[in-house]
Amino acid sequence: MTDDRPTDESDAARATALGTAELAARTERLEPIYDAAVKTLFWGFRLGAALLALGIFAALVKRQPLGHEADPIPDVIAKVRAGYASGIIDLAILWFMLTPVATVIVVAANFWRLGDRRYALLSLVVLAILGVSVALALNR
Amino acid sequence: MDIVYSLEIGAVAAVAAILGSMLGLGGGVFLVPILTLFFGIDPKFAVGASAVVVVTNSVVGSTNHLRIRFTNPRLAMLLQIATAAGAIAGALYGVLADPRVIYIVFGAVLVYAAVSMVIRSERRVTAPPPGARDTLRLGAAFRDPAIKEEVGYIPINVGWGMGVGVGAGVISGMLGVGGGVVMVPVMNLLMRVPVKAAVGTSTFMVGMTSVATAFVFYSRGFIDPTLVVPAIVGVFIGGQIGSRLTRRIKAQRLALLFALILLYLGLSLLLRAFGVEMPGQA
Repeated sequence: MTDDRPTDESDAARATALGTAELAARTERLEPIYDAAVKTLFWGFRLGAALLALGIFAALVKRQPLGHEADPIPDVIAKVRAGYASGIIDLAILWFMLTPVATVIVVAANFWRLGDRRYALLSLVVLAILGVSVALALNR
Repeated sequence: MDIVYSLEIGAVAAVAAILGSMLGLGGGVFLVPILTLFFGIDPKFAVGASAVVVVTNSVVGSTNHLRIRFTNPRLAMLLQIATAAGAIAGALYGVLADPRVIYIVFGAVLVYAAVSMVIRSERRVTAPPPGARDTLRLGAAFRDPAIKEEVGYIPINVGWGMGVGVGAGVISGMLGVGGGVVMVPVMNLLMRVPVKAAVGTSTFMVGMTSVATAFVFYSRGFIDPTLVVPAIVGVFIGGQIGSRLTRRIKAQRLALLFALILLYLGLSLLLRAFGVEMPGQA
């Protein structure tokens, strides 16, 4: 695991020629990150698709029109609780949008677990940037 | 729900996804121009819908690329800092911009895509260069099923890649496209990342880039569920058809036809910016 763990080695010492076999072994050590990201994206899409299907079904059965503008987040929650199809569909859209954000969290956590603090912190910087756009949406 | 309108949008989104999938450009590149030019939809709502569709597409597409290790998570996270920041800036400008600015920038991007399709260049990378330095530990490897060999690579020119990534993010944020149209050639030609790894890493990245765009457009009320829902369904179906067609038909053989479609859409948007409508457009 030495190649992926931060050490006190200087950049110059680390800058050794690497062969394909070493690079393949390094990639394999990231397996927990790949697995966790796949699971998050897979279930994120499945649950989002299920919500979307439920919302479309409810809209058709209840003959409820959809709005031409997705509601602000607090209204979405209230509409879902009240059983409105538009609320369920807005929730599905938000769910899809939050899935990559959840993936960044999972990737950051797994970099940290593998001892790769540098990329854990870089992933958290990405999360912070995405957090700015989420904050804008929350303050709508 | 207006069923006919939804079916029309769904069908258009499916066609956009088929074309995008066959060209490796993603559906957004076709979706926004078609929605604005032929349905008369406000470009800001078209961009908002496209951003959500690109997120969904990336969520589905990334799963496959991650499974076969085409995605480089370290490279993705490093470049993502630049593209996500650029996307927020681009989206904040996009929601306020005069639609004519969106037409002009989108038109220019489509003309660029059309030209680069005709003079498509690709750098073949099968092994890291001898003595390559990897101070950022970005090097990785994947098994290429086409040559049945392990392909190792070490990205170079990372600073330049991040610089261009900011620009790709701004374009992505303004136009609701994924940014892969810029980032794949940058990773391959500038950073010496093999095309498959560039596509895998870019597919993973565009989801995060478009999330930034989508939330900004959501914050300003430019996400229209009557547009987004059929577009998501259409793009999902079209993407599946497109990936099957890609296996049967060599998209490269149709490059000229695709380039002409892109050129037509690009020039139409540029003309629209100056108030000129082509026949048959809304």
